[in-house]
Amino acid sequence: MNFIIFQFLWATPHVLLIPLAVIMIYRGLHREFPIFFSYVLFEFLLFCILFAMAHAFRLHFRLISPEIYAKIDPFGRAGTVALHFGILQELFESPVAGSPPLRQAMARILNWATLIIVVLAVIFFGVLNYNTLDHRLNPPYRTIETLNAAQCGLIVLIFLWYRFLRLRMLPFVVGIAVGMGLVASMESLMAYWLDSPAVRLSSIPGVLQMASFQIAVLVWIYFALVRESKSASGIPPLPDLRQWAADLGKVPHL
Amino acid sequence: MIPIAITGLLTLIFLLFLGSQVWRRHFDRGEATASRELTPVDLDAFENLTDLEEEQYLRANLSPGLFRGVQRSRIRAAKMYVLALSENAGTLMVAGQSARFHSDPEIAQAGMEIVHRAIRLKLWCLLSLLRLNAAMVFPAIVFPPTRIASQYLLVTCMVANLPRNSSALGV
Repeated sequence: MNFIIFQFLWATPHVLLIPLAVIMIYRGLHREFPIFFSYVLFEFLLFCILFAMAHAFRLHFRLISPEIYAKIDPFGRAGTVALHFGILQELFESPVAGSPPLRQAMARILNWATLIIVVLAVIFFGVLNYNTLDHRLNPPYRTIETLNAAQCGLIVLIFLWYRFLRLRMLPFVVGIAVGMGLVASMESLMAYWLDSPAVRLSSIPGVLQMASFQIAVLVWIYFALVRESKSASGIPPLPDLRQWAADLGKVPHL
Repeated sequence: MIPIAITGLLTLIFLLFLGSQVWRRHFDRGEATASRELTPVDLDAFENLTDLEEEQYLRANLSPGLFRGVQRSRIRAAKMYVLALSENAGTLMVAGQSARFHSDPEIAQAGMEIVHRAIRLKLWCLLSLLRLNAAMVFPAIVFPPTRIASQYLLVTCMVANLPRNSSALGV
């Protein structure tokens, strides 16, 4: 792939994380979503380190070998996956942030759901890969991609959870979930694509992966900025609340 | 190629799901006008259906076969009550959320409290349904839950006690 296009696709979304962090601080979202804010900073710092290493390798007489890069990269990805799970917990608990007992109950439910979904993902990908002998991905990457797939399941669960509780999702919560879902699903798919003997030399998976992260960052910025400001000014002033209170009279014994 | 095709198909379904969620929540305003009516629930009748003493009485006076049949009918009725309570908890949740974003901090605080209580009630209803389903299979071993009615009364009282002053409510 063209070197400049690759650099552009790699650097742009990470640079856009800075305005996202600024918007979050400006709107006070960093206090509401501290783990997501940490993730934004972590991704930016990780990019700075990897980008510097890649350039040091290319420009400075190959002082840093691809082997060292390949050893550091999985740690970065593992950190990202761990933060993703933290963010999912944050989204799950966000409606009950002010109630510690409910938060504990929610955390328990989420822990069980995570366990079940991870086990299902492991079984599913185990069955899927059972007959495929020619793998290029090493075990750490395979584990990370399985966890990415499990995250997609958890994101579906979060949407269903809000729907079951009839809770209105804050726009930024929707944005975070959609962006994370996009990244996690595409990473999982691209890992399989890269792992396939037929297409492993193609540069398309790398481009799609970076493009999906770019779209995710734009989605986060959009929902942090546009949607949040719209909803803040558009909350209805307690419509029909008196009617609801009156309706309660229909319930006997009140 | 088969793993890629399967993963690709699942990814496509997932992305369509995400798209539908964004569409539903931000472009389709139908949800905002969802049911605002509470379903009347006779809590006395419901408590009677889940009363342990009543169950003991039936168990003592009916043959095991007849008891299981009667108990299953009672559980079936109790499930309908729990579904109605769960539906009402959702309506109360909407009321609480409206109050939660009110400019008056007192109303906003009350709204937050209602939301928390309604979530608890919803969870109770979910767990109760699971337990009722278990009781349906094993009517002589698993007992129906008994605490939902009091939880429900607590939440509905809170909504009813929100300030009724129209200027305070902003309506």
